[in-house]
Amino acid sequence: MTDVYVIGAGIIPFARHEALSLTDLSVEAAFLAIKDSGLAPHRIDSGYFASVLGGRLFGDSTLGQSVFAEVGISGGPIVNIENACASGSSAVCLAYNALAAGQSDYAIVLGAEKMCVPGLGLLNSGESDIETKLGLVTPASFALRAQRHMYEFGTTLEQMAQVSVKNRRHAAANPIAFFRQPVTLEEVLTAPMITDPLTRPQCCPMADGAAALVLASGPAISHNKRAIKINAAVLTSGSYQNPIDLVRWETDQRSCRLAYEKAGMGPDDLDLVECHDAFTIAEIIHYEALGLCEVGEGGRLVAEGATSLGGRIPVNVSGGLIGRGHPVAATGVAQIVEVVTQLRGEAKERQVEGTKVGLAHCMGADRQGDARSCTVAILSS
Amino acid sequence: MPARLKENTVSEAGATDLLPPVQEGIFSLPAAGETGSPRLLGGYCRACERYHFPRERHCHRCLGPVEGADLGNTGIVYSFTAVRAKPPLGLPQPYGVGFVDLAANGLRVFALLDPDCVDDFKIGSSVVLAVKPLGHDGKGRPCLRPYFTLQQYPTESEA
Ligand SMILES: [Zn+2]
Repeated sequence: MTDVYVIGAGIIPFARHEALSLTDLSVEAAFLAIKDSGLAPHRIDSGYFASVLGGRLFGDSTLGQSVFAEVGISGGPIVNIENACASGSSAVCLAYNALAAGQSDYAIVLGAEKMCVPGLGLLNSGESDIETKLGLVTPASFALRAQRHMYEFGTTLEQMAQVSVKNRRHAAANPIAFFRQPVTLEEVLTAPMITDPLTRPQCCPMADGAAALVLASGPAISHNKRAIKINAAVLTSGSYQNPIDLVRWETDQRSCRLAYEKAGMGPDDLDLVECHDAFTIAEIIHYEALGLCEVGEGGRLVAEGATSLGGRIPVNVSGGLIGRGHPVAATGVAQIVEVVTQLRGEAKERQVEGTKVGLAHCMGADRQGDARSCTVAILSS
Repeated sequence: MPARLKENTVSEAGATDLLPPVQEGIFSLPAAGETGSPRLLGGYCRACERYHFPRERHCHRCLGPVEGADLGNTGIVYSFTAVRAKPPLGLPQPYGVGFVDLAANGLRVFALLDPDCVDDFKIGSSVVLAVKPLGHDGKGRPCLRPYFTLQQYPTESEA
């Protein structure tokens, strides 16, 4: 195994980019990441491109080859990836594995989505899926966890709403975030209900966006002072146990444990976390899976401020999905862009002090009360 | 106000004869002219002694043969929610969904919940299966969907 580093990071604002195509968004993010790496593009010998909706909404296919060719990357292996919300971070895992195995010297990873189009509606896990046919939409799968978390642990509506307040406050300091206006607890609690008990600001907004990384294998980067080491990058899938426990999330816990084992680290080593807060309750359950607190204590952890910028273990200082927005396949890459930016000490007013180790956690799609994909990456400066 | 007791059988007889199920093989209806309750259908692996819903093509554990199984028609609500945003598939607004622990075999299945009483479900509620025309399929054609309703409707004053 060779050490693997991130040497370039690029991200474009997450917003409604009505005038730009999926290719426009992608090429810009790739350009920024390559420029940031300082590499000549022809030295990048492999590429990983993630998009979930490009095929369905625009009829695109194998877009990665097209996008990368526009920034001077061609000839080597290029793969197009769909793994729902974890598409971008799954792409990172594949690139990491190839570099760690010595199969590549430099790789580009890009996640991009254009989804602010009329009539898209609530996302689901595939139209031929039995649960989709029986009315499951993504917000409901998390509302069911929220109801159960409240019932078993006494988690309150206010505690869940605090996740939105925190992440919107963080997003206000992130120039690429979808939402730049903070919200109050009152505003979160009184907003329109999407699916009980999740109000609109507790559900991440759709956005258009793209994010990219350039990865390098160890021998190639000895001179690069802004290189950030990837200590672990794991990709798992659900185990679909029946009966499934919606609040002690086995797949979530197993994935975090695996990443800690591979990195030789634990929750006490972390200085910041970016996690998959698609809905407020998700962030609370991820705290518990990550071992930031005991199972059942996640609501209290956010309410006491431990996960705010300046707290014991800041979570989603980028604004998370709730504040930064969720262009589906871009999210998993954007999380790592944020961790890299923080570990380089370049995050300006949202900088976490003295960061040495950061973690990025992402999840995708539902099946039988479980997630279909989960990724956890640990990085260090 | 008196308690409203819900018929557990198909509520809109007639329509059920004409409409297709949202997916073949996931529920049964009483034969024409007979009374009775709809039943949830799934699969059973004899080697593993495990039920599943919906029926698997092969047992996912041993890859052995799977036989059809009656999964019963009652259960207990494990979790529930009311979807109040614009509904998919022509479902009512709001509509309910949840996980139900089946009384017959302990399987925890995802299910639609009766849209006529979305605010009355609780964790632990006893529920019974019903079938009626609910929404449309992916191609916009009306269809039958199975859903769980409360075994005992609350009185107006309780609700
Ligand atoms: Zn079997």
